Amino acid sequence: MSDKTQAIFTGDRCLSCTSCMANCPVMAAVKEYRGPKLVGPAHGRMHFSQEDIEESLNYCSNCKSCDRACPSGVAVSTLNMLQRAEYYKKHGHLRSEDMLAHGERMAKLIRKIPFGATFSNIGMGLGKTLGVFSALGIAGERNMPAYASTSFKDYFPRIKQTASGKKIVMFTGCFINDNEPQVGEAFVKVMNANGYEVLIDKGFNCCGSPLVVMGFLDEARQHADNNVARILDWKKKGIPVVTPCTSCSLMLKEEYHELFGEEQFHEAATNVYDAFEFLEILQERGEFNDNFKPLSQKLLYHVPCHLKSQAIGLPAQDILEEAGAKVNLADAGCCGISGNYGFRKDKYEISMKIGAKLFERIKKKDFDKVISDCGTCRMQIHHGTDIKPVHPIEILAKAYA
Amino acid sequence: MKISDVIVIGGGLAGFMAAAVAANHQQKVMLLTYGSGSLPLMSGTIDIINAKAPDAAIKNLPAHHPYKKIGLKAIDSAAKFFCDVAAQANLPYVGRLSAQIPVVTAVGTLKYSCLVPESMDASNLVNKKKIFVVEIKGLKDFYAAMIANNLKKYFPDKTFDVAKIDLKLLGGRDITCMDAAQLLTDNEQQLANELKSLKAADDDAIIIPPILGVMGNFSRSVITTQIRAEVIETTCLPPSPPGIRLQRAFIKYLQKSGVRVFENSKVVRGVVEGKKVTGVVVANVVREKIFRAKKVILATGGFYSGGITMRDFDNPVEPIFDIPVFFPTGAENWSNKNLFSDKPQGFSMTGILTNDNLNPADENGKILYDNLHVVGANLGGCDKIFERSAGGIAISSAYKAATI
Repeated sequence: MSDKTQAIFTGDRCLSCTSCMANCPVMAAVKEYRGPKLVGPAHGRMHFSQEDIEESLNYCSNCKSCDRACPSGVAVSTLNMLQRAEYYKKHGHLRSEDMLAHGERMAKLIRKIPFGATFSNIGMGLGKTLGVFSALGIAGERNMPAYASTSFKDYFPRIKQTASGKKIVMFTGCFINDNEPQVGEAFVKVMNANGYEVLIDKGFNCCGSPLVVMGFLDEARQHADNNVARILDWKKKGIPVVTPCTSCSLMLKEEYHELFGEEQFHEAATNVYDAFEFLEILQERGEFNDNFKPLSQKLLYHVPCHLKSQAIGLPAQDILEEAGAKVNLADAGCCGISGNYGFRKDKYEISMKIGAKLFERIKKKDFDKVISDCGTCRMQIHHGTDIKPVHPIEILAKAYA
Repeated sequence: MKISDVIVIGGGLAGFMAAAVAANHQQKVMLLTYGSGSLPLMSGTIDIINAKAPDAAIKNLPAHHPYKKIGLKAIDSAAKFFCDVAAQANLPYVGRLSAQIPVVTAVGTLKYSCLVPESMDASNLVNKKKIFVVEIKGLKDFYAAMIANNLKKYFPDKTFDVAKIDLKLLGGRDITCMDAAQLLTDNEQQLANELKSLKAADDDAIIIPPILGVMGNFSRSVITTQIRAEVIETTCLPPSPPGIRLQRAFIKYLQKSGVRVFENSKVVRGVVEGKKVTGVVVANVVREKIFRAKKVILATGGFYSGGITMRDFDNPVEPIFDIPVFFPTGAENWSNKNLFSDKPQGFSMTGILTNDNLNPADENGKILYDNLHVVGANLGGCDKIFERSAGGIAISSAYKAATI
């Protein structure tokens, strides 16, 4: 039995063993959710042929703890997302859902306005103070991620790189492109240090993860088709696509194929790598640059759910330890934000309840820095603890100074 | 890439135990799991073998039985180590190898087991005056009247009282014992108040579903300090809080001892050089990755967990290393049509045969790999369900494999 298959065909493998329920952080936080087993797999068995929509489906955060708990290879969370898309065929989206799903579109609009990022950041501060976000259905307790004055893709040509025959294409992801370009810069520095010239493909869209979780499946499919065609073009040229965002890499590698099924999604996936996964492969081939300026930091690593799902071990921990850092794992479960889930007003409290264990762990402050590969995990940790985490690649970049 | 001293494949009871024991012996351990393992689905009790004196019964087993290869010394050490891991997470177990302890099941029968969570020990029921059985409003699969009726068959001279309490647990779903246990964690007082109102005396017992929290014995302590009668938990349908408490105890132990645990990591084959296993290959959706180790412990389970598969009848396969699997051939030996009869099931004997070091052997007894050890439900030659030895074989084979 191959597990590499379209989600819709995996519902029949469910034995109702309840492993997914025992590991669902949302079920543990809220009584209203009926739990993964009775939502995705149960309805997926009927291939959504019936009209009955499970209302409590909107509680699923797509953190994928259920997928990892399942011993039978059921793509539980993707079944949930497919069912959610069915729901929105007959129900309208809230304004907030539309906004949270379309971060890429919003950032593009704002950048067309002179000083747009500055004004929108002020606007977001004001909006928060005036309760505008709350009225829209966005969690008023949170700061919206601030826009960087120049997007990473616009800043990229200014980065000095040594030309090399060895090239990779960086899939930046929206959060790094619009909000944390310094992560992109660190990524380029690390790849350069390993003899790779980094290319940017401005034709890539948002991977589609925020669209999928909000039920905009048709739009996500358009993004997938565009991205996959480009990834396959790069593959023909022998150039791998590498991303430091673990939710993007999971979407490109696994979820496109689970959602839509056609073979090209799987074929494109074979040309996509997580940043540290790529570095570790270089290491296996003896091509990794370990000429470090030794790090002596003590790091606490929150491993994102979407990295755990990829079954690639923890290459960032191994590599940073080789560079001299001491890396302890937070081992405190899901942070609770799960992309845009924790930004929804009605999900804010659940998201903070799920993250409480992690916040408590971080508040022990027995480290120099907190690291996490996922942008929204970093935001949630910052919000829940007032400690600002960084991407592990930012630490590694310092070892190549 | 780093080379581990030991890689354990499988996140059930045997896998967790092997990883914990190896880490306790200063080994660098990696645990690869696919699915969350059997613990959240299990009763929390460890059956060694169904006999009045399990240790004596083990001595009389035939030579091909896994226990004979493991040996009593390892079984004894395993039981002690297991109880120690649980105790470190404030989850006290009671029991010894020379006797069995009664446990009340979810239908009100008595089941006998060797190592039992203190909260489920029903040894003292026989000395009680009155037994209360308490049902929780909205809780699935727990029927106090049925439990009381069935228990009366064991204790005809006792008074039974059936009570129903409302803990206001209902939200949008039917609640399971796990839900109730999660909701009651750090929120025990309402249950304590309801149980107090039963006015049970010192020499009474109160039987409840296993809802006393998901973190060790913490919730139970809050209750028992306020109630004079002995409060006893039953077993339940999965997801099972006593199993979840045990899983958390192990995870805590593994984290504390530096074991690297990688979820969702399906091992598809081994990397071998002659009679040595040098690593294992994990396949994710797009590519494969090799994890290297000096020693590998196979704890992938039997038929129920995919540790052994069978696509063609009479041809069971161990899918990772393709080790020969012992199997009672012929349809007439394969199953016993009377499912609940007093005879074992042939197919349940299916599994891998080993030497005393738990290295896998072929049909002729030739050892295939020197540094690969097979533990838990993978082991063949006995019907673990029928003789009730699955838990004991899991912890003791794991202990032995990890200490060789």
